Amino acid sequence: MGRTDSLAKLAWAYGLHLARRRLTRPKSQLPALIEMYKASGIRPLTPAERELHPRLIGCINCGLCALAAGRLGKTRLPELASSYMRLYARLADASSDLEGDEADLEAASAACPVGLPLADVAAVVRRLAAG
Amino acid sequence: MTGAGIARDLSLRGLSVLLLEKGDWGAGTSGSSTWMIHGGPRYLEFDWDTTRRSSEDAGFIVTIARHMVYRVAFLLPILPHDRNNIERMETAMEVYDRFQPLKKSNPHVRLTADEARQAEPGLTSDLVGAVTLEEWGVDPHRLVFANVQDAVANGARAMNHTRVIELLRDGANVIGVRYRAADGSVSEARAKVVVNAAGPWVPEVSRMAGANVQLRPAKGIHIVYPYRISNFGLSAETVDGRDVLMVSHGGFTLLGTTDDDFYGDLDSVDVHGDEVDYLLQAFERIFPAIRNYRPVRTTTGVRPTLFKWRPYEDELSRRYQVIDHSSDGAEGFITIAGGKLSMYRLMAEETSDAVCRKLGHQAPCTTAVRPLPGSESELEPAAELGQRFGIPALAAIKLQSRHGSRAGDVLDKSDAGRIVCRCEPLTESELAYAARHEQVRTLADAFRRVGIAAGPCAGAACVMRSAEIIGRQLGWSASQRFDAVREFVQGSWLGRAPVLGDSGWAQEELAQGALRGLR
Repeated sequence: MGRTDSLAKLAWAYGLHLARRRLTRPKSQLPALIEMYKASGIRPLTPAERELHPRLIGCINCGLCALAAGRLGKTRLPELASSYMRLYARLADASSDLEGDEADLEAASAACPVGLPLADVAAVVRRLAAG
Repeated sequence: MTGAGIARDLSLRGLSVLLLEKGDWGAGTSGSSTWMIHGGPRYLEFDWDTTRRSSEDAGFIVTIARHMVYRVAFLLPILPHDRNNIERMETAMEVYDRFQPLKKSNPHVRLTADEARQAEPGLTSDLVGAVTLEEWGVDPHRLVFANVQDAVANGARAMNHTRVIELLRDGANVIGVRYRAADGSVSEARAKVVVNAAGPWVPEVSRMAGANVQLRPAKGIHIVYPYRISNFGLSAETVDGRDVLMVSHGGFTLLGTTDDDFYGDLDSVDVHGDEVDYLLQAFERIFPAIRNYRPVRTTTGVRPTLFKWRPYEDELSRRYQVIDHSSDGAEGFITIAGGKLSMYRLMAEETSDAVCRKLGHQAPCTTAVRPLPGSESELEPAAELGQRFGIPALAAIKLQSRHGSRAGDVLDKSDAGRIVCRCEPLTESELAYAARHEQVRTLADAFRRVGIAAGPCAGAACVMRSAEIIGRQLGWSASQRFDAVREFVQGSWLGRAPVLGDSGWAQEELAQGALRGLR
């Protein structure tokens, strides 16, 4: 009985939906979507970031980058590259972490055993942290 | 989860409660879930009442656990030959929108194919369009523990790693339990009512009382990626027409789940390569780059679904049942069976009502409105908290997601800033706190409580140090620390082996070097 009743109500809703689609002109809802989730940090990556993304999150936390960049023991990029890319929906709340001197990301990247493009990581992190 | 919810509910009603967990808090079905508090749009095909009740209770949970929940926005992409076309999918979402306000969620939007690819550029070009769906994410381990914490704060006793080995009887009455604690000692506890909230182990515990509760256990696996693949969750259709999800949580992605009848040993549930391929096959159609991402492990669990003959696993109801076993010759014994994480609070309330009826105790349930520990007040801005204790704002955000407004109490100012796990990031101070105050007895407990080894390195960089920190708090000797690491590495290997690709094996080599001799 429960299933029959549920399917009947869905069928009715389907009819109403089709009628409404015929009678109204659709408009773009993408801006509404972006606005709806802005506060939660749910924002799209750009196509270029998406293309690069599998490499951006490749950090295995060996710590060599921090040694090469002379930042061991401090708690910012590059040694937390993994954390920042993992939690990129919350970066707007962590923008204070990115203030101050930049580490030598070129040297850090050169030392990375998995070839993480740390300058690109930093660029994405900064863009997302800017809100 | 439900047991913790019942302990909280009953202790808040002023009753004396003992909660026993054979493993760790949330280590069973709850921890292996999709980590969502959701209303269940899938149930609209079967039973709108389950959707309504689930949405309503999700609304309560979102309110009482506000520091640990977050919005998960799904894109539901539609391909040309999908089982449901976009009009049918949007109809379902329009209906679901009626329930969304119950759980404080936003209504759906509809996107064209181009718009969907702007929202998620990784989607296939073979799209018709997409609709969105919003649910809530939660860390079930922390949700379970917050319930335990509150129960204890209200007078309950709660013991993990403690197994019930026998029910005590006096004729037709169940009058208590005999249990084996973590240290191997056996004790007894007398009670006027014993509640069996053992999830898929419900039949096993029921048999101790001579009662028969039949479930239809269903195994589900997830693939875990240790980062957000997309900011949006995604759905995909499997080769056999099921819907599966890619869910973006805080710093990781869950991809799943399977749903298969399970007849094996509940304490030893393996993940098979076929199950992993089944999920990847589904997502490759809508997100072609999925195989470029390196998973770190799998999870597996067994749903305690109520028994019904004939329906496919996916079509089984997620309803629950509170069973009074007095008619089975076990007076004072109650079982809660079935259900799902999103309705744990309601299940706990109804079970607690049954207990109170039995005891003639009159006290209202308050769990729908009373905040869980950490959700009592507004959170301090993460950057300020971080600055106060000398930790990165990101570490403060993670800390607050676990402890909410109590985050400041967790950090010891003297060594708060030292990071033990760079993936998470997690401070030494919080880990020590977990060992002192959160019943962490093993490294796996610490994984569940504070997320050690949850990141891309799978613990290679932090488990040894973590064992030292926990060991210092618990008085472990050097060999006990070593054994703890070995036990953790061996245990986590079972979940890692099914998903190691080329780069996974390369990293495994590195981990072997870091933890030489422990495998």
